Amino acid sequence: MGLDAFGHDPFWLVIIKILAVFVFLIVSTILMIWFERRVVGRMQHRPGPNRYGPFGLLQSVADALKLALKEDIMPTLADKAVYFIAPIISIMCAFTAWAVIPFGPEVSIFGVRSPLQITDVPVAVLVVLACSGLGVYGIVLGGWASGSTYPLLGALRSAAQVISYEVALGLSIVAVFMLSGSMSTSEIVMSQGENPPIQLSLLGMELNFNVPGWYAILLLPSFIIFMISMVGETNRAPFDLPEAESELVGGFHTEYSSLKFAMFFLAEYINMFTVSAMCVTLFLGGWRAPWPISIWGEANTGWWPILWFLGKVWVFMFVFVWLRGTMPRLRYDQFMRLGWKVLIPLNLVWILVVAGVRVSTQQENGTTKTLVIGGVVLLAGAVILFYPRRKQYVEPATADLGLGGFPVPPLDLKVPPSPRTKKIEATREKASVGTDSKTDTTGEEG
Amino acid sequence: MNDIQLPAIDYAALLPMLIVFGAACVGILVEAFAPRGWRFVIQVSLTIGGLVAGLVAIIVNRDLEITTIGGAVTVDGPGLFLQGAIIILGIVSLGLIAERRLERGGPFVAEAAHAANSDGDKRQEREPGATEVFPLTLFAIAGMMLFCVSGDLLTMFVALEVFSLPLYLLCGLARRRRLISQEAALKYFLLGAFASAFFLYGVALLYGYAGTVSLTGIREGVLQSEQSGILLAAGLALLAIGLLFKAAAVPFHVWTPDVYQGAPTPVTALMAACTKAAAFGGLLRVFNVAFETTAWDWQPVLATVAILTMVVGSILAVAQTDIKRLLAYSSVANAGYLLVGVVSLNGAVGSSLFYLIAYGFSVLGAFAMVTLVRDSEGEATHLSRWAGLGKGSPLFSALFTFLMLGFAGIPLTSGFTSKFALFSSAWDSDQSVLVIVGVLSSVVLAFPYLKVVVLLWLNPPGEETPTVSVPSMLTRAVIFAGVAVTFVLGVAPSFLLDIVADAGPFLAK
Amino acid sequence: MSLSQWVPLVVLFTLATLFALFSVTIAPYIGPRRYNKAKLEAYECGIEPTPTPPGGSRFPVKFYLTAMLFIIFDIEIVFLYPWAVAFDSLGMFGFVEMLLFIVTVFVAYTYVWRRGGLDWD
Repeated sequence: MGLDAFGHDPFWLVIIKILAVFVFLIVSTILMIWFERRVVGRMQHRPGPNRYGPFGLLQSVADALKLALKEDIMPTLADKAVYFIAPIISIMCAFTAWAVIPFGPEVSIFGVRSPLQITDVPVAVLVVLACSGLGVYGIVLGGWASGSTYPLLGALRSAAQVISYEVALGLSIVAVFMLSGSMSTSEIVMSQGENPPIQLSLLGMELNFNVPGWYAILLLPSFIIFMISMVGETNRAPFDLPEAESELVGGFHTEYSSLKFAMFFLAEYINMFTVSAMCVTLFLGGWRAPWPISIWGEANTGWWPILWFLGKVWVFMFVFVWLRGTMPRLRYDQFMRLGWKVLIPLNLVWILVVAGVRVSTQQENGTTKTLVIGGVVLLAGAVILFYPRRKQYVEPATADLGLGGFPVPPLDLKVPPSPRTKKIEATREKASVGTDSKTDTTGEEG
Repeated sequence: MNDIQLPAIDYAALLPMLIVFGAACVGILVEAFAPRGWRFVIQVSLTIGGLVAGLVAIIVNRDLEITTIGGAVTVDGPGLFLQGAIIILGIVSLGLIAERRLERGGPFVAEAAHAANSDGDKRQEREPGATEVFPLTLFAIAGMMLFCVSGDLLTMFVALEVFSLPLYLLCGLARRRRLISQEAALKYFLLGAFASAFFLYGVALLYGYAGTVSLTGIREGVLQSEQSGILLAAGLALLAIGLLFKAAAVPFHVWTPDVYQGAPTPVTALMAACTKAAAFGGLLRVFNVAFETTAWDWQPVLATVAILTMVVGSILAVAQTDIKRLLAYSSVANAGYLLVGVVSLNGAVGSSLFYLIAYGFSVLGAFAMVTLVRDSEGEATHLSRWAGLGKGSPLFSALFTFLMLGFAGIPLTSGFTSKFALFSSAWDSDQSVLVIVGVLSSVVLAFPYLKVVVLLWLNPPGEETPTVSVPSMLTRAVIFAGVAVTFVLGVAPSFLLDIVADAGPFLAK
Repeated sequence: MSLSQWVPLVVLFTLATLFALFSVTIAPYIGPRRYNKAKLEAYECGIEPTPTPPGGSRFPVKFYLTAMLFIIFDIEIVFLYPWAVAFDSLGMFGFVEMLLFIVTVFVAYTYVWRRGGLDWD
């Protein structure tokens, strides 16, 4: 099955597939919100929502309905048109990315053979990246158009964050393209089905073995970098600085309410699903069955693969929740340093290593082979060797008196009463009790 | 998938550019790692070394005629000559850029991004200037070199950006009069970005017409294409706007006086000499290679532009009261003369190249002398301040007078021989109208130059006549080179004329 | 290869837009409307909203710097993608060329790093 399998569906089938994806995304989001609250609850030793429906399953539905019936506020200072358009942009981009996510192989739907994927194009991965890139517009415009400080700050942070991690994300999939030779999602999944034999000649001994085709194993560094940057890309904890509720109230959507807010919320959760699905597609074999199941010959045919696919996606969703439940939020400078100073150079060196190894396997000449591999190893070694160390924390000479070294008054400071307090006191009759401590207490107030 | 043709690369032909680009990259690493105190010395030697090595490579390549990297680069006689001219003019203008005696810390500030007159801006007044100017200059020069030998329009666009972007930045780095310098940078950047957009749009339309972006391909495609001729005309017009902007032809000249005035004078000199050479190198190549066969269509339009440029440039030069603006308008008028060479096509390629060298050296010398006239505020560029300088500084005034006479086209200077060569070859190519307008306008243009001369010698000194500073060897060398070449090319132009004649026509196959 | 592969994508895009447009448009009609001046002001945790200068406020130059760096690396990615896809047919030539390209970008990257362009305060 290649790219030729796409673009022949009758129109009714296209509509069915699209509606299915639509329903899937909305139901998943509702389920995810419940799931997140339950799991985080467990992690924090509390039950989480458990009132509506079995295990509180209907809680999110109730919340969604309530949200729709809330008052829709348009702030006075808002830029009306942009404020209105921003959530639409977010949603548009979030949904469109799902057009190219492969759910499964070719099946028969009402007598028509068709792949379980809305469509596929030669640049499918770019479509997903473009959607995530355009989605930032929704956030930035929403924050900017609100005419308020917190949303603006949140939007700026969000833009800086998303573009910083988009570089790392984009670089981490270069190695995947190199191995699969394609940017179409279905072909990338197909290429992970083969188990490439690896030949190593060490000291005259020939070692032959097969490795599983999942790129997560072949390209482990890429996989790890993708995982990290996809959390940064979706503004989730520990990288949730744009929405840091303790700093910015709600970030870019502070001024949004009712269904407009719901749109942002929905888009955010769909984006989580999108990056998880991309990760599964690019690195974990997509809809291919994981190892013990794959022994069963029929595992990768028919409708079963949807199950494997969803299972893998939900593992990632659990990881998202897990991260939120355990990790504290990064400081902004730490966060940017991780993106720009660690992930990007690491990525580039890794790409060169992969390219070097791959180009050397093509070479007939043994000397060139050794030269290329040796050069690449040297390069990687040099980068690791010369990677600047973090500055050692130097113990300050004087003891920190709290507040991170800022000058702090001593704990037993006597504050003299302000002139205004003195004047008030002078005109006021003295209370009969507690006169001794009175100077102190009023002094603190002033 | 497997039918990708790998282009053949002739590294020898690319060597001059690779050397200069490489030196620029090394310069950036020096900026990153060398200790602050060492940077200036390392950068100056690296830059001069890189440029000289590039020049040597060009001289070694002198007889090369080849199209390489899949047609992206065409190395031929005029291309190599232009590359050599740009490198030599670049080396000379480097003397001004590296000058550090006239002003503490050099003519540049450390950080251009400080708002003018802010606290940060005041603080950096006494700090040494940015040494990034050297890699930036190298990038600009390398970009210009590529611009002159690009074999297709896309390479040309890349080269255009490579040499423009560093120049935008350099314009904003002047140590004195920060606000006007930043204004110049912004103006140049915005208008330059517009021009680039025009250029690119033109490339797109021409691609639609001819089905290729390579210059020789367009030459062929022009004859065979079945597309509407409007595509060709519009594409050519937009492309020409992009190029004429860099060449400062009327009506795309409006940035010139402001930018020339606001930019640090060494950068102005670099722009006046090297950018002009690169822009006309590009114009000559595009029109001679790609559009020679359609000359009937565009020659009248370009001739009109040339006439406008000559007339407007020379008339507006008369009204100027600032020496840098005066030189800017004179550069506009000179662009007009060079356009006469472009319109004359192959007949005038050699004399255009000669003109570029002659004009480049004179203008470098003139701007070098402008940097010397100073008061406590920096350079005193207003003409009224120059009155009577001849009394106190006769040598300075004599040399400047000589350069002014050179610009005015008095015999025994390069100004005369270059104009003579250009106009006579244009006359031979039947551009008699243009030649007549050119001669008349150069008569008009002589007036402002002579006005400066009169001002220097005959007017009484004002109350606060600025002093003529004593520069280091670098600026002296620049002035010497400018004056000497102006004189030598005026007396014995034949050896350079032989070289440009040997360079032959552009390679159009 | 045909454009018909793109049709479902366009349909999905249109449906998603309609869905969002519908939701955002009906929101004011299904919710209550109780006018209160304070509600319409910018929310700043109850204090008087900070007045912003007309035309928006200025924000730190760091954000611009990040945006410019992003463009540089995004362009690099743009070059890397087609190279990666066609890697096998480009062979040694492609490898060496890309090595040179990445090294060149690394030069600029090192400069930015050393000059503190990647530090956030």
